[in-house]
Amino acid sequence: MGRLIAGELLKLRTTRMPLAMLAGMLGFALLAVVAGILTADRLAEEGQGFALASDEGIGNVVRSASSGMFFVLVLGILAVAGEVRHKTITATFLVTPNRGRVVAAKLAVYALAGLAFGALASALTLAVALPWLAIKDIPLAGRADDIALTVLGILLASALYGLVGVGVGALVRNQVAAVTVSLLWLLIVEGLLVGLLPSVGRWLPSGAATALTRASITNGTLLPMWAGGLLLAAYGLVFAAVATRFTIRRDIT
Amino acid sequence: MTMSVIAVQGLGKRFGQVVAVDDLSFGVDQGKVTGFLGPNGAGKTTTLRMLLGLVTPTAGTATIGGRAYRELAEPIREVGAVLEATGFYPGRTARDHLRVMAVEAGLRGAAARADGVLGLVGLADSAGRRVEGFSLGMRQRLSLAAALLGDPQVLILDEPANGLDPEGIHWLRGFLRYLADQGRTVLVSSHALAEVAQTVDEVVIIARGRLVAHSTLEALTARAAPSVLVRSPDAATLRDLLTGNGIKAKLDGDDRVTATDTTTEAVGRLAASGGLVLYELRMDRSNLEDVFLELTTDEEIQEERPWGA
Repeated sequence: MGRLIAGELLKLRTTRMPLAMLAGMLGFALLAVVAGILTADRLAEEGQGFALASDEGIGNVVRSASSGMFFVLVLGILAVAGEVRHKTITATFLVTPNRGRVVAAKLAVYALAGLAFGALASALTLAVALPWLAIKDIPLAGRADDIALTVLGILLASALYGLVGVGVGALVRNQVAAVTVSLLWLLIVEGLLVGLLPSVGRWLPSGAATALTRASITNGTLLPMWAGGLLLAAYGLVFAAVATRFTIRRDIT
Repeated sequence: MTMSVIAVQGLGKRFGQVVAVDDLSFGVDQGKVTGFLGPNGAGKTTTLRMLLGLVTPTAGTATIGGRAYRELAEPIREVGAVLEATGFYPGRTARDHLRVMAVEAGLRGAAARADGVLGLVGLADSAGRRVEGFSLGMRQRLSLAAALLGDPQVLILDEPANGLDPEGIHWLRGFLRYLADQGRTVLVSSHALAEVAQTVDEVVIIARGRLVAHSTLEALTARAAPSVLVRSPDAATLRDLLTGNGIKAKLDGDDRVTATDTTTEAVGRLAASGGLVLYELRMDRSNLEDVFLELTTDEEIQEERPWGA
Protein backbone atom coordinates (compact mmCIF):
# COMPACT_ATOMS: atom_id res chain seq x y z
CA MET A 1 0.00 0.00 0.00
CA GLY A 2 2.88 2.32 0.84
CA ARG A 3 4.31 2.21 -2.67
CA LEU A 4 0.90 2.84 -4.23
CA ILE A 5 0.49 5.92 -2.04
CA ALA A 6 4.00 7.05 -2.97
CA GLY A 7 3.13 6.54 -6.64
CA GLU A 8 -0.10 8.55 -6.37
CA LEU A 9 1.77 11.36 -4.61
CA LEU A 10 4.35 11.31 -7.40
CA LYS A 11 1.55 11.52 -10.00
CA LEU A 12 0.25 14.64 -8.22
CA ARG A 13 3.70 16.23 -8.16
CA THR A 14 4.56 15.57 -11.81
CA THR A 15 1.80 17.54 -13.55
CA ARG A 16 0.75 21.15 -13.38
CA MET A 17 -2.95 20.44 -12.98
CA PRO A 18 -2.95 20.22 -9.14
CA LEU A 19 -1.22 23.61 -8.99
CA ALA A 20 -3.98 25.09 -11.16
CA MET A 21 -6.58 23.64 -8.78
CA LEU A 22 -4.70 25.03 -5.78
CA ALA A 23 -4.48 28.45 -7.45
CA GLY A 24 -8.23 28.31 -8.03
CA MET A 25 -8.97 27.43 -4.42
CA LEU A 26 -6.65 30.15 -3.08
CA GLY A 27 -8.13 32.68 -5.51
CA PHE A 28 -11.65 31.94 -4.31
CA ALA A 29 -10.54 32.17 -0.66
CA LEU A 30 -8.88 35.52 -1.27
CA LEU A 31 -11.89 36.96 -3.09
CA ALA A 32 -14.26 35.66 -0.43
CA VAL A 33 -12.32 37.02 2.53
CA VAL A 34 -11.85 40.47 0.97
CA ALA A 35 -15.47 40.71 -0.18
CA GLY A 36 -16.68 39.31 3.18
CA ILE A 37 -14.85 41.88 5.29
CA LEU A 38 -15.81 44.74 2.99
CA THR A 39 -19.52 43.93 2.80
CA ALA A 40 -20.47 42.18 6.08
CA ASP A 41 -21.49 45.26 8.06
CA ARG A 42 -23.41 46.85 5.19
CA LEU A 43 -25.36 43.62 4.60
CA ALA A 44 -26.02 43.25 8.34
CA GLU A 45 -27.54 46.75 8.39
CA GLU A 46 -29.90 45.62 5.64
CA GLY A 47 -30.87 42.64 7.78
CA GLN A 48 -28.87 40.03 5.85
CA GLY A 49 -26.19 38.06 7.66
CA PHE A 50 -24.17 39.01 10.66
CA ALA A 51 -22.14 42.03 11.70
CA LEU A 52 -18.39 41.62 11.38
CA ALA A 53 -17.84 42.04 15.11
CA SER A 54 -20.10 39.11 16.03
CA ASP A 55 -19.02 35.50 16.55
CA GLU A 56 -20.95 34.48 13.44
CA GLY A 57 -19.46 37.35 11.44
CA ILE A 58 -15.92 36.32 12.26
CA GLY A 59 -16.81 32.67 11.60
CA ASN A 60 -18.02 33.66 8.14
CA VAL A 61 -14.74 35.47 7.43
CA VAL A 62 -12.71 32.42 8.48
CA ARG A 63 -14.95 30.14 6.38
CA SER A 64 -13.90 32.11 3.28
CA ALA A 65 -11.07 29.54 3.17
CA SER A 66 -13.62 26.88 2.20
CA SER A 67 -15.29 28.88 -0.60
CA GLY A 68 -13.19 27.23 -3.32
CA MET A 69 -13.32 23.75 -1.84
CA PHE A 70 -14.99 22.39 -4.98
CA PHE A 71 -11.54 22.57 -6.60
CA VAL A 72 -10.53 19.77 -4.23
CA LEU A 73 -13.60 17.83 -5.33
CA VAL A 74 -12.60 18.27 -8.99
CA LEU A 75 -9.02 17.21 -8.19
CA GLY A 76 -10.37 14.04 -6.60
CA ILE A 77 -12.68 13.35 -9.54
CA LEU A 78 -9.76 13.67 -11.97
CA ALA A 79 -7.78 11.15 -9.92
CA VAL A 80 -9.78 8.33 -11.49
CA ALA A 81 -11.76 9.88 -14.35
CA GLY A 82 -8.66 11.72 -15.62
CA GLU A 83 -6.75 8.45 -15.72
CA VAL A 84 -9.58 6.87 -17.68
CA ARG A 85 -9.64 9.82 -20.05
CA HIS A 86 -5.90 9.77 -20.75
CA LYS A 87 -5.81 5.96 -20.61
CA THR A 88 -3.04 6.02 -18.02
CA ILE A 89 -5.41 3.77 -16.06
CA THR A 90 -4.10 0.96 -18.29
CA ALA A 91 -0.56 1.36 -16.95
CA THR A 92 -1.88 1.81 -13.41
CA PHE A 93 -3.84 -1.45 -13.52
CA LEU A 94 -0.99 -3.29 -15.26
CA VAL A 95 1.28 -2.38 -12.34
CA THR A 96 -1.44 -3.05 -9.74
CA PRO A 97 -4.10 -5.46 -11.02
CA ASN A 98 -5.93 -5.29 -7.67
CA ARG A 99 -8.13 -2.35 -8.56
CA GLY A 100 -9.59 -1.97 -5.08
CA ARG A 101 -6.13 -1.20 -3.75
CA VAL A 102 -5.66 1.49 -6.39
CA VAL A 103 -8.92 3.16 -5.34
CA ALA A 104 -7.97 2.87 -1.66
CA ALA A 105 -4.59 4.52 -2.28
CA LYS A 106 -6.27 7.34 -4.19
CA LEU A 107 -8.76 7.88 -1.35
CA ALA A 108 -5.88 8.26 1.10
CA VAL A 109 -3.76 10.50 -1.13
CA TYR A 110 -6.54 12.83 -2.22
CA ALA A 111 -7.79 13.20 1.36
CA LEU A 112 -4.23 14.20 2.19
CA ALA A 113 -4.11 16.60 -0.76
CA GLY A 114 -7.45 18.08 0.33
CA LEU A 115 -6.06 18.56 3.82
CA ALA A 116 -3.02 20.37 2.41
CA PHE A 117 -5.15 22.55 0.13
CA GLY A 118 -7.45 23.38 3.07
CA ALA A 119 -4.46 24.27 5.23
CA LEU A 120 -2.99 26.60 2.58
CA ALA A 121 -6.36 28.27 1.94
CA SER A 122 -6.89 28.71 5.69
CA ALA A 123 -3.41 30.17 6.13
CA LEU A 124 -4.01 32.65 3.29
CA THR A 125 -7.43 33.59 4.66
CA LEU A 126 -6.15 34.14 8.20
CA ALA A 127 -3.13 36.07 6.91
CA VAL A 128 -5.51 38.53 5.28
CA ALA A 129 -8.32 38.52 7.86
CA LEU A 130 -6.51 38.66 11.21
CA PRO A 131 -4.48 41.87 10.61
CA TRP A 132 -7.42 43.51 8.86
CA LEU A 133 -9.85 42.73 11.71
CA ALA A 134 -7.23 43.96 14.18
CA ILE A 135 -6.96 47.25 12.31
CA LYS A 136 -10.76 47.50 12.53
CA ASP A 137 -10.40 47.11 16.32
CA ILE A 138 -12.48 43.96 16.36
CA PRO A 139 -11.40 41.92 19.40
CA LEU A 140 -10.11 38.45 18.52
CA ALA A 141 -8.30 37.41 21.70
CA GLY A 142 -11.24 35.68 23.33
CA ARG A 143 -12.19 33.97 20.08
CA ALA A 144 -8.98 32.07 19.38
CA ASP A 145 -10.44 28.65 20.33
CA ASP A 146 -13.52 29.32 18.27
CA ILE A 147 -11.46 30.26 15.20
CA ALA A 148 -9.18 27.24 15.66
CA LEU A 149 -12.15 24.88 15.77
CA THR A 150 -13.57 26.41 12.59
CA VAL A 151 -10.20 26.02 10.83
CA LEU A 152 -10.08 22.39 11.96
CA GLY A 153 -13.54 21.92 10.44
CA ILE A 154 -12.35 23.47 7.16
CA LEU A 155 -9.31 21.19 7.04
CA LEU A 156 -11.47 18.12 7.60
CA ALA A 157 -14.12 19.24 5.11
CA SER A 158 -11.46 19.87 2.48
CA ALA A 159 -9.87 16.47 3.11
CA LEU A 160 -13.24 14.76 2.87
CA TYR A 161 -14.06 16.61 -0.36
CA GLY A 162 -10.96 14.92 -1.83
CA LEU A 163 -12.36 11.60 -0.63
CA VAL A 164 -15.82 12.29 -2.10
CA GLY A 165 -14.21 13.43 -5.38
CA VAL A 166 -12.31 10.14 -5.76
CA GLY A 167 -15.56 8.26 -5.04
CA VAL A 168 -17.52 10.25 -7.64
CA GLY A 169 -14.76 9.97 -10.27
CA ALA A 170 -14.52 6.21 -9.74
CA LEU A 171 -18.28 5.88 -9.98
CA VAL A 172 -18.82 8.02 -13.10
CA ARG A 173 -15.42 7.53 -14.82
CA ASN A 174 -16.30 9.97 -17.61
CA GLN A 175 -14.27 13.05 -16.76
CA VAL A 176 -16.48 15.69 -18.38
CA ALA A 177 -19.71 14.14 -17.09
CA ALA A 178 -18.36 13.62 -13.58
CA VAL A 179 -17.07 17.19 -13.22
CA THR A 180 -20.10 18.82 -14.84
CA VAL A 181 -22.73 16.84 -12.98
CA SER A 182 -21.08 17.14 -9.60
CA LEU A 183 -20.49 20.89 -9.90
CA LEU A 184 -24.06 21.52 -11.06
CA TRP A 185 -25.34 19.33 -8.25
CA LEU A 186 -23.11 20.83 -5.59
CA LEU A 187 -23.33 24.51 -6.50
CA ILE A 188 -26.91 24.74 -7.78
CA VAL A 189 -29.10 21.85 -6.61
CA GLU A 190 -27.58 21.53 -3.17
CA GLY A 191 -27.05 25.27 -2.86
CA LEU A 192 -30.81 25.71 -3.28
CA LEU A 193 -31.78 22.76 -1.10
CA VAL A 194 -29.54 23.71 1.81
CA GLY A 195 -30.87 27.24 1.65
CA LEU A 196 -34.55 26.56 0.99
CA LEU A 197 -35.18 23.15 2.48
CA PRO A 198 -32.55 22.63 5.17
CA SER A 199 -34.33 19.60 6.63
CA VAL A 200 -33.35 17.79 3.43
CA GLY A 201 -30.25 19.78 2.51
CA ARG A 202 -28.47 19.08 5.76
CA TRP A 203 -28.22 15.41 4.83
CA LEU A 204 -26.53 16.14 1.50
CA PRO A 205 -22.74 16.41 1.03
CA SER A 206 -22.54 20.20 0.97
CA GLY A 207 -24.95 20.42 3.92
CA ALA A 208 -22.66 18.05 5.78
CA ALA A 209 -19.61 20.10 4.75
CA THR A 210 -21.31 23.30 5.88
CA ALA A 211 -22.06 21.71 9.25
CA LEU A 212 -18.45 20.57 9.52
CA THR A 213 -17.21 24.14 9.01
CA ARG A 214 -19.61 25.27 11.79
CA ALA A 215 -21.65 27.64 9.65
CA SER A 216 -25.05 28.67 10.95
CA ILE A 217 -28.08 29.08 8.74
CA THR A 218 -30.97 31.34 9.61
CA ASN A 219 -33.94 29.16 8.66
CA GLY A 220 -33.09 25.83 10.24
CA THR A 221 -30.45 23.74 11.93
CA LEU A 222 -27.64 21.77 10.38
CA LEU A 223 -26.18 18.60 11.80
CA PRO A 224 -23.69 18.86 14.66
CA MET A 225 -20.11 19.36 13.49
CA TRP A 226 -19.04 15.77 14.23
CA ALA A 227 -22.10 14.31 12.51
CA GLY A 228 -21.49 16.43 9.41
CA GLY A 229 -17.93 15.09 9.25
CA LEU A 230 -19.01 11.48 9.60
CA LEU A 231 -21.74 11.92 6.99
CA LEU A 232 -19.36 13.48 4.47
CA ALA A 233 -16.81 10.70 5.04
CA ALA A 234 -19.60 8.15 4.58
CA TYR A 235 -20.55 9.70 1.22
CA GLY A 236 -16.98 9.39 -0.05
CA LEU A 237 -16.48 5.84 1.22
CA VAL A 238 -19.87 4.59 0.00
CA PHE A 239 -19.30 6.08 -3.49
CA ALA A 240 -15.85 4.46 -3.58
CA ALA A 241 -17.14 1.11 -2.32
CA VAL A 242 -19.98 1.02 -4.87
CA ALA A 243 -17.55 2.05 -7.61
CA THR A 244 -15.06 -0.65 -6.60
CA ARG A 245 -17.81 -3.25 -6.66
CA PHE A 246 -19.21 -2.15 -10.03
CA THR A 247 -17.70 0.50 -12.35
CA ILE A 248 -14.01 -0.01 -11.50
CA ARG A 249 -14.28 -3.70 -12.41
CA ARG A 250 -15.28 -2.90 -15.97
CA ASP A 251 -13.13 -3.85 -18.91
CA ILE A 252 -10.35 -1.46 -19.84
CA THR A 253 -10.51 -1.51 -23.62
CA MET B 1 11.78 -29.71 -23.66
CA THR B 2 9.92 -26.47 -23.64
CA MET B 3 6.77 -25.45 -21.83
CA SER B 4 4.10 -22.95 -22.70
CA VAL B 5 4.75 -19.76 -20.76
CA ILE B 6 1.62 -18.14 -22.11
CA ALA B 7 -1.38 -20.46 -22.19
CA VAL B 8 -4.75 -19.55 -23.64
CA GLN B 9 -7.47 -22.19 -23.08
CA GLY B 10 -10.97 -22.02 -24.54
CA LEU B 11 -10.83 -18.25 -24.23
CA GLY B 12 -13.96 -16.32 -25.17
CA LYS B 13 -15.23 -12.76 -24.94
CA ARG B 14 -18.62 -11.46 -25.83
CA PHE B 15 -19.43 -7.73 -25.87
CA GLY B 16 -23.22 -7.70 -25.83
CA GLN B 17 -24.23 -9.38 -29.09
CA VAL B 18 -20.74 -9.24 -30.57
CA VAL B 19 -18.48 -12.24 -30.14
CA ALA B 20 -14.96 -10.80 -30.15
CA VAL B 21 -13.07 -13.96 -29.20
CA ASP B 22 -14.47 -17.45 -29.56
CA ASP B 23 -13.08 -20.65 -27.99
CA LEU B 24 -9.47 -19.64 -28.61
CA SER B 25 -6.65 -21.91 -27.46
CA PHE B 26 -2.92 -21.63 -28.05
CA GLY B 27 0.34 -21.67 -26.18
CA VAL B 28 3.55 -19.66 -26.47
CA ASP B 29 6.79 -21.45 -25.66
CA GLN B 30 9.56 -20.07 -23.54
CA GLY B 31 12.19 -18.05 -25.35
CA LYS B 32 10.27 -17.89 -28.62
CA VAL B 33 9.05 -14.89 -30.54
CA THR B 34 5.50 -15.63 -31.58
CA GLY B 35 3.60 -13.48 -34.04
CA PHE B 36 -0.08 -13.05 -33.18
CA LEU B 37 -1.66 -12.26 -36.50
CA GLY B 38 -5.04 -11.47 -37.91
CA PRO B 39 -6.86 -8.76 -39.80
CA ASN B 40 -8.14 -5.69 -37.99
CA GLY B 41 -11.06 -6.62 -35.78
CA ALA B 42 -10.03 -10.28 -35.51
CA GLY B 43 -9.92 -10.10 -31.71
CA LYS B 44 -6.15 -9.71 -31.19
CA THR B 45 -6.31 -6.73 -28.86
CA THR B 46 -9.17 -8.21 -26.83
CA THR B 47 -7.20 -11.45 -26.41
CA LEU B 48 -4.06 -9.63 -25.29
CA ARG B 49 -6.05 -7.47 -22.87
CA MET B 50 -7.61 -10.61 -21.39
CA LEU B 51 -4.10 -12.03 -20.93
CA LEU B 52 -3.17 -8.85 -19.08
CA GLY B 53 -6.17 -8.84 -16.75
CA LEU B 54 -7.63 -5.65 -18.24
CA VAL B 55 -10.61 -7.36 -19.85
CA THR B 56 -12.53 -10.12 -18.07
CA PRO B 57 -13.12 -13.20 -20.27
CA THR B 58 -16.65 -14.55 -20.63
CA ALA B 59 -15.22 -18.05 -21.13
CA GLY B 60 -11.96 -19.92 -20.66
CA THR B 61 -8.65 -18.91 -19.13
CA ALA B 62 -5.53 -17.00 -20.08
CA THR B 63 -2.45 -17.58 -17.95
CA ILE B 64 1.17 -16.52 -17.82
CA GLY B 65 3.50 -18.96 -16.10
CA GLY B 66 0.44 -20.90 -14.97
CA ARG B 67 -1.29 -18.00 -13.24
CA ALA B 68 -3.79 -15.36 -14.29
CA TYR B 69 -2.18 -11.91 -14.62
CA ARG B 70 -4.29 -10.57 -11.77
CA GLU B 71 -2.77 -13.20 -9.47
CA LEU B 72 0.86 -12.34 -10.24
CA ALA B 73 2.61 -10.99 -7.17
CA GLU B 74 4.87 -8.56 -9.06
CA PRO B 75 3.23 -8.32 -12.48
CA ILE B 76 5.51 -5.86 -14.28
CA ARG B 77 8.60 -7.76 -13.12
CA GLU B 78 7.19 -10.85 -14.81
CA VAL B 79 5.33 -9.46 -17.83
CA GLY B 80 5.93 -6.31 -19.87
CA ALA B 81 3.15 -4.99 -22.08
CA VAL B 82 2.86 -2.55 -24.94
CA LEU B 83 -0.72 -1.55 -25.63
CA GLU B 84 -2.07 1.38 -27.61
CA ALA B 85 0.26 4.33 -27.66
CA THR B 86 -2.10 6.83 -26.05
CA GLY B 87 -1.78 5.88 -22.40
CA PHE B 88 0.23 8.89 -21.26
CA TYR B 89 -0.70 12.03 -19.39
CA PRO B 90 0.25 14.73 -21.91
CA GLY B 91 1.70 17.13 -19.34
CA ARG B 92 3.95 14.56 -17.68
CA THR B 93 7.50 13.94 -18.86
CA ALA B 94 8.59 10.57 -20.24
CA ARG B 95 10.88 10.00 -17.26
CA ASP B 96 8.14 10.87 -14.75
CA HIS B 97 5.67 8.52 -16.44
CA LEU B 98 8.14 5.68 -15.93
CA ARG B 99 9.10 6.84 -12.41
CA VAL B 100 5.44 6.65 -11.34
CA MET B 101 5.20 3.07 -12.63
CA ALA B 102 8.50 2.09 -11.01
CA VAL B 103 7.50 3.56 -7.64
CA GLU B 104 4.11 1.84 -7.72
CA ALA B 105 5.78 -1.44 -8.61
CA GLY B 106 8.22 -1.01 -5.73
CA LEU B 107 11.26 -1.08 -8.03
CA ARG B 108 14.44 0.28 -6.49
CA GLY B 109 16.11 3.35 -7.97
CA ALA B 110 13.05 4.48 -9.93
CA ALA B 111 14.71 7.41 -11.70
CA ALA B 112 17.81 5.46 -12.71
CA ARG B 113 15.68 2.58 -13.98
CA ALA B 114 13.53 5.00 -15.98
CA ASP B 115 16.62 6.53 -17.59
CA GLY B 116 18.01 3.06 -18.27
CA VAL B 117 15.04 1.83 -20.28
CA LEU B 118 14.70 5.18 -22.05
CA GLY B 119 18.27 4.70 -23.20
CA LEU B 120 17.46 1.18 -24.45
CA VAL B 121 14.71 2.48 -26.73
CA GLY B 122 16.68 5.50 -27.92
CA LEU B 123 14.76 8.15 -26.00
CA ALA B 124 17.50 9.22 -23.57
CA ASP B 125 17.57 12.73 -24.98
CA SER B 126 13.81 13.17 -24.59
CA ALA B 127 13.55 11.89 -21.01
CA GLY B 128 12.73 15.31 -19.59
CA ARG B 129 10.26 16.32 -22.29
CA ARG B 130 6.50 16.31 -21.79
CA VAL B 131 4.82 13.50 -23.71
CA GLU B 132 2.41 15.95 -25.43
CA GLY B 133 5.28 16.88 -27.76
CA PHE B 134 6.02 13.27 -28.74
CA SER B 135 5.38 11.82 -32.20
CA LEU B 136 3.47 8.55 -32.51
CA GLY B 137 6.77 6.73 -33.05
CA MET B 138 8.26 8.23 -29.86
CA ARG B 139 5.17 7.19 -27.93
CA GLN B 140 5.59 3.63 -29.20
CA ARG B 141 9.20 3.67 -28.02
CA LEU B 142 8.08 5.02 -24.64
CA SER B 143 5.52 2.19 -24.43
CA LEU B 144 8.34 -0.28 -25.07
CA ALA B 145 10.43 1.40 -22.38
CA ALA B 146 7.53 1.00 -19.94
CA ALA B 147 7.24 -2.68 -20.86
CA LEU B 148 10.93 -3.20 -20.07
CA LEU B 149 10.87 -1.26 -16.80
CA GLY B 150 10.55 -4.33 -14.59
CA ASP B 151 13.05 -6.36 -16.69
CA PRO B 152 10.37 -9.04 -17.35
CA GLN B 153 10.98 -12.39 -19.03
CA VAL B 154 7.67 -12.25 -20.91
CA LEU B 155 6.68 -9.45 -23.30
CA ILE B 156 3.21 -8.94 -24.77
CA LEU B 157 3.19 -6.35 -27.52
CA ASP B 158 0.05 -5.16 -29.29
CA GLU B 159 0.83 -3.74 -32.74
CA PRO B 160 4.12 -2.16 -31.65
CA ALA B 161 4.90 -1.23 -35.26
CA ASN B 162 1.85 1.04 -35.52
CA GLY B 163 2.90 4.60 -36.20
CA LEU B 164 6.53 3.73 -36.81
CA ASP B 165 8.18 4.92 -40.00
CA PRO B 166 10.17 2.39 -42.10
CA GLU B 167 13.32 3.19 -40.15
CA GLY B 168 11.42 2.69 -36.89
CA ILE B 169 10.04 -0.66 -38.05
CA HIS B 170 13.56 -1.74 -39.00
CA TRP B 171 14.74 -0.71 -35.53
CA LEU B 172 11.82 -2.56 -33.91
CA ARG B 173 12.67 -5.79 -35.73
CA GLY B 174 16.22 -5.67 -34.48
CA PHE B 175 15.03 -4.77 -30.99
CA LEU B 176 12.61 -7.72 -30.80
CA ARG B 177 15.39 -10.04 -31.96
CA TYR B 178 17.69 -8.58 -29.30
CA LEU B 179 15.06 -9.22 -26.63
CA ALA B 180 14.45 -12.77 -27.83
CA ASP B 181 18.18 -13.47 -27.93
CA GLN B 182 18.24 -12.69 -24.22
CA GLY B 183 15.86 -15.63 -23.77
CA ARG B 184 12.71 -13.60 -23.28
CA THR B 185 9.36 -14.90 -24.48
CA VAL B 186 7.66 -12.45 -26.83
CA LEU B 187 4.10 -12.43 -28.13
CA VAL B 188 3.73 -9.68 -30.71
CA SER B 189 0.54 -8.89 -32.58
CA SER B 190 0.26 -7.44 -36.04
CA HIS B 191 -2.28 -7.15 -38.81
CA ALA B 192 0.47 -7.49 -41.41
CA LEU B 193 2.51 -10.67 -41.62
CA ALA B 194 5.32 -8.93 -43.49
CA GLU B 195 5.92 -6.64 -40.51
CA VAL B 196 6.89 -9.53 -38.29
CA ALA B 197 7.86 -12.30 -40.74
CA GLN B 198 11.58 -11.57 -40.34
CA THR B 199 11.35 -11.61 -36.56
CA VAL B 200 9.07 -14.42 -35.42
CA ASP B 201 9.71 -18.11 -34.85
CA GLU B 202 6.06 -19.09 -34.74
CA VAL B 203 2.78 -17.62 -35.82
CA VAL B 204 -0.68 -17.80 -34.28
CA ILE B 205 -3.25 -16.60 -36.80
CA ILE B 206 -6.79 -15.71 -35.82
CA ALA B 207 -9.76 -14.41 -37.77
CA ARG B 208 -13.16 -13.47 -36.40
CA GLY B 209 -12.02 -14.36 -32.92
CA ARG B 210 -11.07 -17.94 -33.80
CA LEU B 211 -7.79 -19.72 -34.30
CA VAL B 212 -7.12 -20.47 -37.97
CA ALA B 213 -3.48 -21.53 -37.81
CA HIS B 214 -0.70 -22.10 -35.32
CA SER B 215 2.59 -23.20 -36.79
CA THR B 216 6.23 -22.38 -37.15
CA LEU B 217 7.03 -19.72 -39.68
CA GLU B 218 8.85 -22.38 -41.74
CA ALA B 219 5.74 -24.56 -41.93
CA LEU B 220 3.73 -21.56 -42.99
CA THR B 221 6.30 -20.68 -45.64
CA ALA B 222 6.13 -24.26 -46.90
CA ARG B 223 2.37 -23.85 -47.34
CA ALA B 224 3.11 -20.94 -49.61
CA ALA B 225 3.82 -22.89 -52.82
CA PRO B 226 6.48 -20.79 -54.51
CA SER B 227 5.54 -19.67 -58.00
CA VAL B 228 7.60 -18.78 -61.04
CA LEU B 229 6.72 -15.62 -62.93
CA VAL B 230 7.50 -15.51 -66.67
CA ARG B 231 7.07 -12.75 -69.21
CA SER B 232 7.13 -13.77 -72.83
CA PRO B 233 5.64 -12.52 -76.11
CA ASP B 234 4.51 -16.13 -76.66
CA ALA B 235 2.80 -16.45 -73.30
CA ALA B 236 -0.06 -18.68 -74.47
CA THR B 237 2.32 -21.08 -76.23
CA LEU B 238 4.51 -21.21 -73.13
CA ARG B 239 1.50 -21.93 -70.92
CA ASP B 240 0.54 -24.86 -73.16
CA LEU B 241 4.12 -26.13 -73.24
CA LEU B 242 4.33 -26.04 -69.42
CA THR B 243 0.98 -27.73 -68.80
CA GLY B 244 1.86 -30.27 -71.48
CA ASN B 245 4.88 -31.19 -69.34
CA GLY B 246 2.84 -31.55 -66.17
CA ILE B 247 3.57 -28.11 -64.68
CA LYS B 248 0.64 -26.10 -63.32
CA ALA B 249 0.58 -22.80 -65.21
CA LYS B 250 -1.89 -20.08 -65.99
CA LEU B 251 -1.99 -16.93 -68.10
CA ASP B 252 -1.83 -13.59 -66.26
CA GLY B 253 -2.60 -10.96 -68.87
CA ASP B 254 -1.22 -10.87 -72.42
CA ASP B 255 2.44 -11.63 -71.80
CA ARG B 256 2.58 -13.19 -68.34
CA VAL B 257 2.50 -16.78 -67.12
CA THR B 258 2.48 -17.91 -63.48
CA ALA B 259 3.70 -21.45 -62.87
CA THR B 260 3.45 -23.12 -59.47
CA ASP B 261 5.29 -26.04 -57.81
CA THR B 262 8.27 -25.68 -60.10
CA THR B 263 11.61 -23.92 -60.42
CA THR B 264 13.01 -21.21 -62.65
CA GLU B 265 15.47 -23.77 -64.03
CA ALA B 266 12.71 -26.15 -65.18
CA VAL B 267 10.71 -23.36 -66.80
CA GLY B 268 13.82 -21.90 -68.48
CA ARG B 269 14.86 -25.26 -69.96
CA LEU B 270 11.38 -25.96 -71.31
CA ALA B 271 11.15 -22.49 -72.88
CA ALA B 272 14.56 -22.96 -74.52
CA SER B 273 13.55 -26.39 -75.81
CA GLY B 274 10.48 -24.75 -77.40
CA GLY B 275 12.57 -21.90 -78.79
CA LEU B 276 10.49 -19.30 -76.93
CA VAL B 277 11.73 -15.76 -76.18
CA LEU B 278 11.60 -14.77 -72.49
CA TYR B 279 11.70 -11.18 -71.19
CA GLU B 280 11.64 -12.12 -67.53
CA LEU B 281 11.95 -15.24 -65.40
CA ARG B 282 11.88 -15.11 -61.59
CA MET B 283 10.65 -16.73 -58.37
CA ASP B 284 7.83 -14.95 -56.60
CA ARG B 285 8.38 -15.05 -52.86
CA SER B 286 5.59 -12.68 -51.82
CA ASN B 287 3.35 -15.66 -51.31
CA LEU B 288 3.56 -15.72 -47.52
CA GLU B 289 1.20 -12.77 -47.48
CA ASP B 290 -1.14 -14.67 -49.84
CA VAL B 291 -1.24 -17.61 -47.44
CA PHE B 292 -2.07 -15.23 -44.64
CA LEU B 293 -4.84 -13.65 -46.70
CA GLU B 294 -6.14 -17.03 -47.75
CA LEU B 295 -6.19 -18.31 -44.16
CA THR B 296 -7.92 -15.28 -42.76
CA THR B 297 -10.45 -14.84 -45.55
CA ASP B 298 -11.32 -18.53 -45.94
CA GLU B 299 -12.82 -18.27 -42.51
CA GLU B 300 -15.11 -15.49 -43.65
CA ILE B 301 -16.25 -17.49 -46.67
CA GLN B 302 -17.09 -20.42 -44.42
CA GLU B 303 -19.06 -18.09 -42.19
CA GLU B 304 -21.05 -16.70 -45.06
CA ARG B 305 -21.59 -20.08 -46.75
CA PRO B 306 -22.14 -22.56 -43.95
CA TRP B 307 -23.05 -25.26 -46.50
CA GLY B 308 -19.68 -24.93 -48.26
CA ALA B 309 -16.69 -27.15 -47.63
